[in-house]
Amino acid sequence: MSRVINFYLLSYSIGSLKREKYKNIFLFVVISLLVALLASTFFLSNAMKSEYNTLIDTYPDIVLQNQKAGVAATIESSIADKLLLLDGVKNSEARVYGSYYFNHADSELTIIGVNMFTPSCSSFINDLMQKHSLHRGEILVSSNVKNLFNNYYYKEYFNFIKSDGSLKKMQIDEVFKNSKNFFNKNTLVMLKSDARDIFDYKEYEARDIAIDVANRDEVVSIALKIKRLYPHMNVITKEDLQVEYENLYNFKSGFFLTIFIISFFTFFIIIYDKLSGLNGEKRREIGILKAIGWRVGDVLNAKLYEGAILSLSGYLTGIILAFVYVYLLNAPLLKNIFLYSNNLLKDYTIHLSVEYETLALLFFLSVPIYIVATIIPSWKIATLDADEVMR
Amino acid sequence: MIELKNVSKEYEGGVKALNRVSLKFTEGEVVVLKGMSGSGKSSILSLIAGLCKPTEGEVVVDGKHISKLADHFATSFRRENIGMIFQKYNLIVDLSVQENILLPLVPLNLKNDELEKRLNRELERSNLVSKKDIQVKKLSGGEQQRCAIARANSNNPKIILADEPTANLDEKLSLEFIASLCEMKRENRTIIIATHDPLFFDLDFVDRIVEVGYGKIV
Amino acid sequence: MIISPEVLTIYIIDAIFILFASVAFVISVRIVKNYDVNATTALQYELEKKSYLVATIIRCLFYIKVPFFLFFIFILNNISFVLPGAMCGAGVVNSSSAAVPLLFLKLLNSYLFAYWILLDKDDMSIESQPYIKQKFFLYLLFYLLLITEIYLEFSMFLNIDITSVVDCCGVIFSHTDGSYMAQFFGLPASFYITLFYGNFALLLLSYLVKSRYIFALLNLIFVIVALLSLIAFFGIYIYELPTHHCPFCLLQSEYNYVGYVLYSLLFLGTFNGVVIGLHLFSVDVQKEKMRYSLIFLMLYVSTISYYFLGYYLKNSVWL
Ligand SMILES: Nc1ncnc2c1ncn2[C@@H]1O[C@H](COP(=O)(O)OP(=O)(O)OP(=O)(O)O)[C@@H](O)[C@H]1O
Ligand SMILES: [Mg+2]
Repeated sequence: MSRVINFYLLSYSIGSLKREKYKNIFLFVVISLLVALLASTFFLSNAMKSEYNTLIDTYPDIVLQNQKAGVAATIESSIADKLLLLDGVKNSEARVYGSYYFNHADSELTIIGVNMFTPSCSSFINDLMQKHSLHRGEILVSSNVKNLFNNYYYKEYFNFIKSDGSLKKMQIDEVFKNSKNFFNKNTLVMLKSDARDIFDYKEYEARDIAIDVANRDEVVSIALKIKRLYPHMNVITKEDLQVEYENLYNFKSGFFLTIFIISFFTFFIIIYDKLSGLNGEKRREIGILKAIGWRVGDVLNAKLYEGAILSLSGYLTGIILAFVYVYLLNAPLLKNIFLYSNNLLKDYTIHLSVEYETLALLFFLSVPIYIVATIIPSWKIATLDADEVMR
Repeated sequence: MIELKNVSKEYEGGVKALNRVSLKFTEGEVVVLKGMSGSGKSSILSLIAGLCKPTEGEVVVDGKHISKLADHFATSFRRENIGMIFQKYNLIVDLSVQENILLPLVPLNLKNDELEKRLNRELERSNLVSKKDIQVKKLSGGEQQRCAIARANSNNPKIILADEPTANLDEKLSLEFIASLCEMKRENRTIIIATHDPLFFDLDFVDRIVEVGYGKIV
Repeated sequence: MIISPEVLTIYIIDAIFILFASVAFVISVRIVKNYDVNATTALQYELEKKSYLVATIIRCLFYIKVPFFLFFIFILNNISFVLPGAMCGAGVVNSSSAAVPLLFLKLLNSYLFAYWILLDKDDMSIESQPYIKQKFFLYLLFYLLLITEIYLEFSMFLNIDITSVVDCCGVIFSHTDGSYMAQFFGLPASFYITLFYGNFALLLLSYLVKSRYIFALLNLIFVIVALLSLIAFFGIYIYELPTHHCPFCLLQSEYNYVGYVLYSLLFLGTFNGVVIGLHLFSVDVQKEKMRYSLIFLMLYVSTISYYFLGYYLKNSVWL
């Protein structure tokens, strides 16, 4: 059996690419840039997805939310105690938390309310409360928030603005280390009673109820049970959230993909044009090759090799460029599209998370498509009449 | 060996290049096709090489009905049996001498040592050993023609077809070319030369001179 | 419905397949109708040129289709992370009625396209081109299958409901379920061992006898026997769990993607074996194909045996 790849033909193809340097460099640059652009968005959205996943891991198994007129509303804290009586429920907590808009710095802060002596459904808070203690009027802030406050000269205390416009002065008590997860970076922790004051909740109100179950397999059946008890409320499981985020980011990258496809097809019209337009010299070369014994298939193979070399090298270069841009340069500009333009997140570094399917997907969108797009121009070249060389 | 039976060739646009031509060439023969420009000499060579198809009649080469073969098979036949030498050398000028010489062998995917053997043989015979890595466009006319001959020989063809081989050469180089033809004749190849160069008309190793005029044999 | 970049990619590639396959289809129709090896007309000359285009398109489609098939399976496994309840591709396949026929059709088309390429190669090596009409006629049929495949693929992704809970492979391939699958799992180990190794032994025998029809037929049977015994019996040794029957989890990283190796070997082996029954090759080519078939299948059988016997050697018990 003859060797599968004809290396002489391959080196002819490489030589042929070199001889049309400028055209091919142009094609190569366009392919690598398109691949790099798309690869960067995928790398970034994958990084975001995995951040969310680690975040969601710290979430409670089930969350119960009250609704008024279809909009999330506060819930009675006492429901937490009732749910604790259900079989299979390990822990339940009426949570008081929310985001607070810090006007001067144009930043969102996340306030988390805690009880000193009852365990929370969040492992993050439980860990934190083992190390620190809190009293009324005191806040615990992450180092990120601490820096932010320092910038605005809130060294000892911070003034929250309540809903009636009055100020609530809180003592900055201790600083905890930033969590690795960037979604937790702008957190500050205080007692639930203080948090209620800031968010203007009544004494018996909470934002929602968090429930942990003993056996993960029972999540769905317990969620159904809760739904039956409180049919007008919203029951959200951890898995629901995971799927939701997954879809959100798929959607975002799908949007980019669409742009990419449009540019790619425009690009193919260009190459089609470039490859079909043959100058006299090129026609002559094909004529010579056929006269000295190259079959249509040989010329076609040479052309397909050219396409394969060009697109494969463009693909690899594009991937490498994207790596450098996202993981070494930390994706300037593009990051802003994926993250809210939040000052606290400015120094967020992207963790390496590459998914094979992303690389495979980009491969399929570049290499085979390019090769297929060159079939017809190559075939036209390969079937040129050879007797032209006799003239 | 080669036979044209009642062959006509009409090009698009109604130009009748050949009109019911019948011709025979035997093995080892050297034949000169002479005739005015436009008389149809090149068309005869194209038909023998299977580069184009007759509109009428049949071309048989070495027992093969080459005019009835699909392009794919006609080309296969050509690469095994026919070496072509053209008026304008028809080398790929951006490639080196050795790349040009090996060009007909590229699709065969031969073993490396076989290629080396053939390359060295042709380089020596055409006296181009020292130039093998030089781009063809940097060669002189005579060297280019020698390179073209070397390429035509690289696949060991039984038949050599030459179309106006000396049109771009001065007399000294033309004689050099004729000498190399003589050598090929000694290797018992069938050689057909289409030309109107009078140098060819009284050579002792030429077996026959056929005159073509207005698509007919005169 | 699922909109993920991966699924969008599948749609795009499919759209390109349809476009090019249709070009090839139109040309093929003309070739089947008008091709005449002896004619010297302009039409014949044009068709001859176009036949290269068709062959190139089909070849390219095939060489893209094969890795694309693997990508497809990979994506099914991935989607399973989005589908509530599914643990691997099996859950996804089970969630849509189009999926099972789609998988079979994909497999069938891989064999058919590979067969077409061989037929073309053989045809292009004989000057009279004896199979020219046959191969383009066959392509007309294959085209219909390809279009059906793509249609099923579209409808599968459009119909997957990401909000409803689906079964995981543990349920689909369970022992206790009353389904026809469960009946296969109930059969004794000796049954599968005899069937699998027996079939392979017969293959070896027929290789020695050199009967091409018997060899091809045994290969065809081996496709079914190998897949069935893999799901019902040998798979549990790869998973090292007596209740885990699933043809998809094999493809996940936990099992070193061994599924891709196994399925590729099985395809290469059986394809080379089956094709010699479909087409009369020259003696040398036929011998070569038989040899390739045997080599790949031998690798397949050794890999399976490695897991199967390896488990026993490690744990000194059978599952
Ligand atoms: N591809 C073509 N299309 C149309 N007409 C052609 C083509 N090739 C050749 N001809 C015509 O056919 C006739 C014979 O051409 P051919 O090239 O065989 O002549 P020739 O004897 O080789 O002439 P020369 O000595 O000038 O090379 C000429 O009138 C030419 O114009
Ligand atoms: Mg001429």
